[in-house]
Amino acid sequence: MPLGFKPGHRARASRRRLSPFRTLTIAILAIALSAAAGGFAYFVPAAVTAFNATAQVVKVPSPSPAGLLFSPSPSPSQAAQSQGAFTVLLLGSDDDSKFFADHVLTQSMILVRVVPATKEVTMLSIPRDLYAHLSTGGFGKIDGAYSYGGAGAAIATVQQDFNVHIDDYIWVGLLGLIKVIDAIGGIDVVTTNPVLDDYYPADVYGGDPYGYQRVAVLAGPQHLDGIHAMEYVRSRHGDLQSDFGRSKRQQQVLMAIRQKAKQLSPEDIPALATAIGGELKTSIGLDRVARLVPLAASFDNPDAIRQIVLVPPYTHGGGPDGSINPNWSLILPLVHQYFP
Amino acid sequence: MIARFVLAIGLAILMVISGTTSYIYLSSRQSHAVAAPQKPTDPTPRAQQFTLPGTIYLAQSGALYSFSAGRFHQLTPEAGWTQPALYPDGSQLLAVKRSGLFSDVYALTRFGNVTSQLTSNQAAPRSRWDTGANAWSFYPRLSPDQRTLFMSYDGPKAAGDGNFNVVMQVWGIPLGGTFRQGRSWTTANNYTGGDMQPVPVPGGIIYTKYSYDSNANRVGQLWFTNRAGTAGKALTTQAANCSQPSLSPDGHNVAMICNYGKQVSYLTIATWNGSALGPLQTVISDQLVAQPIWAPDGSGIAYLAPGGPAAPFQLWWLPRARYAPPAPTPPPVPTPTPGGPHSSPLPTPSPVPAPTPPVVKPVQITTNLGFDATSPLAWLG
Repeated sequence: MPLGFKPGHRARASRRRLSPFRTLTIAILAIALSAAAGGFAYFVPAAVTAFNATAQVVKVPSPSPAGLLFSPSPSPSQAAQSQGAFTVLLLGSDDDSKFFADHVLTQSMILVRVVPATKEVTMLSIPRDLYAHLSTGGFGKIDGAYSYGGAGAAIATVQQDFNVHIDDYIWVGLLGLIKVIDAIGGIDVVTTNPVLDDYYPADVYGGDPYGYQRVAVLAGPQHLDGIHAMEYVRSRHGDLQSDFGRSKRQQQVLMAIRQKAKQLSPEDIPALATAIGGELKTSIGLDRVARLVPLAASFDNPDAIRQIVLVPPYTHGGGPDGSINPNWSLILPLVHQYFP
Repeated sequence: MIARFVLAIGLAILMVISGTTSYIYLSSRQSHAVAAPQKPTDPTPRAQQFTLPGTIYLAQSGALYSFSAGRFHQLTPEAGWTQPALYPDGSQLLAVKRSGLFSDVYALTRFGNVTSQLTSNQAAPRSRWDTGANAWSFYPRLSPDQRTLFMSYDGPKAAGDGNFNVVMQVWGIPLGGTFRQGRSWTTANNYTGGDMQPVPVPGGIIYTKYSYDSNANRVGQLWFTNRAGTAGKALTTQAANCSQPSLSPDGHNVAMICNYGKQVSYLTIATWNGSALGPLQTVISDQLVAQPIWAPDGSGIAYLAPGGPAAPFQLWWLPRARYAPPAPTPPPVPTPTPGGPHSSPLPTPSPVPAPTPPVVKPVQITTNLGFDATSPLAWLG
């Protein structure tokens, strides 16, 4: 036995060392795991925002025909069952400092019906000043329903007055629309005419929620950022049709957002989620969102998108407190035709 | 063989680097669709190494740029500058400088230095509920004799008048004069946005008038008027919904955009006889065309259009051959076969099929930029 050699020493040393093949395998595994962890950490805030914004459970007050609990997985209407069609209520609100959180008016209410089988979309804008029976009790302008009872009250009001079944809702705040449009890199719109307004609310970036600013969105094809798109859809003083004209522009911008959304890729999701944070709520669950995205991308025929605005004779002025009176005998057949 | 301790330390370092790199890489990623436009002067490759004749003036992000010999030069800082127009003799530029509450017309050298302020539309508000007597001036153009400055103008107005009906009318004022010395050339329709983008032509102006159609949609029409204060006449129908006129250098054609009530924008041209347009000819129907302008040498039309779906607007060029194809060459005349008289009829030459004219496509001149599509282009030959 050579001097200095102890039995078992070589065996222990060999157990503390790994072969190059095993070392390489472990290194590759470690790199893959840590890279995945880095990616996971990057997408976590977006996922948290998405979870917070989606699958909102709202209580729809009676006497809504839809029942008591409005959940992210509602039982679809009979017509929807037959064609996979569904109806979403889009709500847009001024949520600046003039209002208490969750007690905002819905400046924009758009019923959207999607029929995947025929790739048809119908958008019906409900005038915000429509004098209607509110689900929270009594009569008033329909934009107050959300203010009194949140999304559930707005849904119940539209369901009971328009005799439709609403499967889901999406609520977007004022800043949310601006941030979303900026996050997707702007939208292309052919603005119908110069939109000029000397009394546009300076409540977004003007620093004075009760002050005014001047707005001039010039006419023609153009690439709009969030703030100018908001000016285009929100201004109503320079429009003979006031809220009706604004509704048409809102539908136009929604179509442009949809067009731009088709160009996005997964790497844009975190920026989009940051933009949405706190400014978007929906009852649609994440799993359905994932299914709807490719569906939305497949709707490529603009002529299959029907846009309806309840201009006279469907409505007429002269209601209480500056509201608009509905002509239900005309409205309900129209709604029944496109929102069966 | 590597010791386990060393391996553990190495792997830990590798994992930290790998995870951080992955995070940073993803953070730096952004799809092309949402990327912000570059400055025209950034040294990036162009879509086409294509040189247009002369110098084109255009606007992006509140700055004026010139484009000549394939290169951009920034003329003004990003400070609300837009809507450049050339003096008819090409000596100077007109442009609009826009602020939050008002806009003014300036004269500038062709290198972007301000030589004079031609309007003064600022008026302080009296209270926070009042936007004051501020006014907008847009789309300045000079008459061919350079004595009258035409523009769209929403004044004069009084502070605190509470008027919701803000409409632009086409005004003509003496160059260097005031609105008191000028006159409104048009009478705008209420609550439409008004009359925009005047183009001086021999004997009057062509401009875009907005009105409500029978379905209560607001539409644009080209109108012509030959005298201040007269009604003028419509050159296009409401159904065609046309705007943004541009007169060809020879004065015989007008380019415009028409959308027929849809979210489209066709490049359209028509002949012009001094008082009426000929039939509208759609030249481009698959792009969102804005602000067409004729090349001073008549070799084509430049315009703005998105570089891709829902993308910012780039500079495009349409060669003349697209809308005015060259006349076909006459077929060859049969000649007798040499070598003596024929008793029989001459053989008929087999018909040569007319050559199919090549499809002339628009050329995209820029990429990754974002020009202001509400700002007309100016082109110096």
